[in-house]
Amino acid sequence: MAYKPSLRRKSEELDMELDIRPVMNLMVVLIPLLIASAEWVRLGSIEINVPPSQTGVGDNGDEADNDQVEKEKKLGLSIAITDLGITIASPGAVLGSSENEEGPTVPILADGKQDYETLTAKLIEIKKAITGKGFKDENRAVITAAGDIEYQVIVKVMDNLQTYENDSNEILPLFPEVNFSKII
Amino acid sequence: MAFQPSKSKKNLRQESGALNMNSMMDMMTIILLFLLKSYSTEGALVTPSEQLRLPQSIQGEKPKKELSVSVASELILVNNVVVATVDDIEEDILMIEPLRRKLAEYAQQEIELQNTVGKEFTHVVNIQGDEKIPFEVLFKVMFTCSKSDFYKMRLLTIKTGA
Repeated sequence: MAYKPSLRRKSEELDMELDIRPVMNLMVVLIPLLIASAEWVRLGSIEINVPPSQTGVGDNGDEADNDQVEKEKKLGLSIAITDLGITIASPGAVLGSSENEEGPTVPILADGKQDYETLTAKLIEIKKAITGKGFKDENRAVITAAGDIEYQVIVKVMDNLQTYENDSNEILPLFPEVNFSKII
Repeated sequence: MAFQPSKSKKNLRQESGALNMNSMMDMMTIILLFLLKSYSTEGALVTPSEQLRLPQSIQGEKPKKELSVSVASELILVNNVVVATVDDIEEDILMIEPLRRKLAEYAQQEIELQNTVGKEFTHVVNIQGDEKIPFEVLFKVMFTCSKSDFYKMRLLTIKTGA
C-alpha cells in the first residue's frame, strides 16, 4: 500500500569508508624493516670443491706418493692449527718460527687468540718466494687442525689464507684452493 | 553595476578532500610481496638462533638456495630436520651414518627430479655451522658430504669487513 512520503520506511544508507589506517601502519612498518634487515645481515658462501675422484677431503699422504712417482714439483703447503699456534709446513721441511725453531711457526698471542697478522705476513713471504718457480700446486694449501679448534678460527685462517689485502686496500688472492685434512 | 562577488562570504565554503589511499595500498602490497619473495629465494632468511651463529668472514659470494646441512652446537640437521645429535657421532670413524642416509635419500629425489622434470642436479650443499663447533665435527660432516652425491660444499658465513 502506498504510504505518504513522511510515513515511508526510511532505509538508512550507511556510508562507511573502509578504514585502512591500521593496514597502512603494517605496511609502513614491515617494508622498511625488510629493507633495513637486508643491509645488515649479508650472507657469504665460501666454496670448497672436492673433486669426486679423491678419497678424502684433501689427502696429504696421497699427494706425497704421487710426488715421488711423477717427479713433479709440488709444494704441498700445509697449515696445521693447534692450541699452541699455527705451523706452516711442506713435505720437504717445516717452517720454524723466528724465535723458537721448535715451536709452531706462528704461536698464539698472549691473550690466547691466533696471530693472524704474522700468519698473513709469513704466507705473503712464502708466496713471493715460490711464484714462478714452477710448482704445480702453488695456489693450493691444505688445512689441518686439532679436533677441538673452533670453526670461527678455521674460517679466519681460511680468510687469511685465500686472500690478502695489499697497500691499496684491494683484496687479492693468495692461496685460493683449500683442502682439508685430519691429523690421524 | 555588475554584481560584486561577495567579500564576506568568500571564506565560508571549505573544501573537504579525502585522500584516496587505494593506489598507495596497491603499491605497498606489491612491494611487500616482492621483497618477501626475493629474500626467500635468495636464502637470506636464515633464522639466527643461540645454537647456530654463523662465523664471520671477509670473503664469500652470494649464496644460492640449496640443500642445507646445519651443524648446531648439539644437533645436526638436514633442511631443518634433525638427523643426529653431536653425541651420536662415533669416535673413530669418519662417516656419520644417519647423515649419510639422509643425503642419499635427498640425492635419490634430486636424480628423480632430474629424470622427470629436467631440473639439473647441482650436487651443491650449503653447510651452516655454529661458530663454536669443533673442527672434528666439521671435518666429519664434510667427509660424509664429500662421499655422498653432494660433494660440492659451500660454507655459509656472515659477510663483514670492507
